Amino acid sequence: MGLWELVDQVLIMFYKISGHPVFDYFLGTFLVALLAVIIGEFTISMVFVVNKNHLDRLNTRLADLQQLSLAALKLGDKKSYDACNKEANDAFGRAFFNMFGLSAAALWPAFFALAWMQQRFAGIGFPIPFTGLAVNYVFTFIICYILARMFFSRVKNRLPYFRGIHRMLMAYEENSSKS
Amino acid sequence: MKKGMINKIALATLLLMLAVLALGASGVGAQQETAVGSDLGLKGKLGEAIAKAPVGTGKGQIDPDAPRGAFGIPGAPEINYLVAILWAVWVGWIFSTVGAFGGIMAGVGHMTVYGLGDWVKPFKNTAPQLNKLLTDSIRTSNQWLVGLSALLSTINYLKAKRLAWPLGIALGLGSIVGAVAIPALTGGKVSFSQYQGWFGLFVFVVGGVLLYETTPRGQASKKAAKEAARAFEQSIKEKKDEAAQGITVTQWSLTDIKFSFFGVEFKFNPIWAFVGGVVIAAISAFLGVGGGFLYVPYLTSIVGLPMFVVAGTSAMAVLVSMMTSITTYITVAGAAMDWGMIGVELIGVFIGSMIGPRTQKYIPDIWLKRLFVVLALYVGLGYFSKGFFGKAWVPM
Repeated sequence: MGLWELVDQVLIMFYKISGHPVFDYFLGTFLVALLAVIIGEFTISMVFVVNKNHLDRLNTRLADLQQLSLAALKLGDKKSYDACNKEANDAFGRAFFNMFGLSAAALWPAFFALAWMQQRFAGIGFPIPFTGLAVNYVFTFIICYILARMFFSRVKNRLPYFRGIHRMLMAYEENSSKS
Repeated sequence: MKKGMINKIALATLLLMLAVLALGASGVGAQQETAVGSDLGLKGKLGEAIAKAPVGTGKGQIDPDAPRGAFGIPGAPEINYLVAILWAVWVGWIFSTVGAFGGIMAGVGHMTVYGLGDWVKPFKNTAPQLNKLLTDSIRTSNQWLVGLSALLSTINYLKAKRLAWPLGIALGLGSIVGAVAIPALTGGKVSFSQYQGWFGLFVFVVGGVLLYETTPRGQASKKAAKEAARAFEQSIKEKKDEAAQGITVTQWSLTDIKFSFFGVEFKFNPIWAFVGGVVIAAISAFLGVGGGFLYVPYLTSIVGLPMFVVAGTSAMAVLVSMMTSITTYITVAGAAMDWGMIGVELIGVFIGSMIGPRTQKYIPDIWLKRLFVVLALYVGLGYFSKGFFGKAWVPM
């Protein structure tokens, strides 16, 4: 059995819990989304730990330049304001695209979940009451994914491993806001 | 000339014309191909376009018995996941070292490295609807990749209360207009060749900006800005008394919004922010790029706002325009997505962005830029010539 078939057999079990098709679809989709969130959170924690110093440097530099540009503006020093703004522009570009690495680390499992759902549920329309419109599996997955993210953010500080990461992130955010 | 001679010539011409017409007619009959006739299990507009495509194993034909490749289409190039990961590592490396050029490389991956472009192009003559639909799929795939960074950036800036929301609303509304209009107007209408040509032109522009940055003049201006910033930094080093303050809107009107931030008052014209949002989102949606590289210079250089306010706001504008544009391409234009391909690419991107910061210190910034100038010239020229003239002027 290939890996994809194995994944298919596992994921489809989430859709057979109560025996009620509609309820099972939404519960199953929520559980698949939750799994995608957990795997994504695990990967992003790895990237964060490995790249923390680099991100720190980028963010500190950006924050410094931004403070400087504001100070220059206050003092009416247009030349310094333009110079700091230009430098901050450069720093922001780097920080922004570094975020891409983090967002990729957090979101990649969601796309595999969508790939799997496409095979299973493409072509099924979910009618929106009173509108005559219908949405597809992508829409229902995104809704469930957002709910799963909200749910996970509330429970992660009680889970092993994520508890430690959560503490580290809190400390990091506290330090960042002080600097 | 004798009358008989004229008649003979006229008769010969008529016979020749008849022969040509007869040949043409037989040619039409001979070239008439059987259409697939079924959606092959592919839903929506993609299924409809597949049903109309000619059956066969040649270029511009669909072989229903072939193994399913990209977008679930039989005979489409099968995305080699190892190649996709390696290419995405390269894209992620660029994102984390140089920045916006990674978006261009993501497009190069979809069009050339995975072989989608060469496969899609021949459908221009045999199944134009499929050609245009798959062009939209490539545009949307690029947007997924380049726009995702905006998601995390926006969340972070929201948490830090660093979003200039009046500016964000004006820009966001404009970007919704641009990001809905372009996919709605051009979705299903732009052939792959046209797209490739425009993409090539865009790469040229980005390459031109990079080239300027590497010239003595560009370097001098950068150096001057750096020195001026450093000198100012030195002069106020002991005056670190800034207290964090949120944004307070002090004046509202249709043409003038004033807000204070860190005790400093800023103003902007919401109409210009809206117009900027429309134009930038339209360009981004057409080319299948994120747009962050345009929002930031627009807001800092043209609208004159400080980076402190621009950073989060432009991230939010990119996010809004990306979400709008992708949704419109998928729902209105019917673009198909290969979710697995994007998932694999994201794995590569995060690996690349972990390697980037570790290798960056070994390569001077100017040499990185020079490398990308050469790449931009090559890629730009290749796509521009292939798209608009039908033949690549450089090997690709």
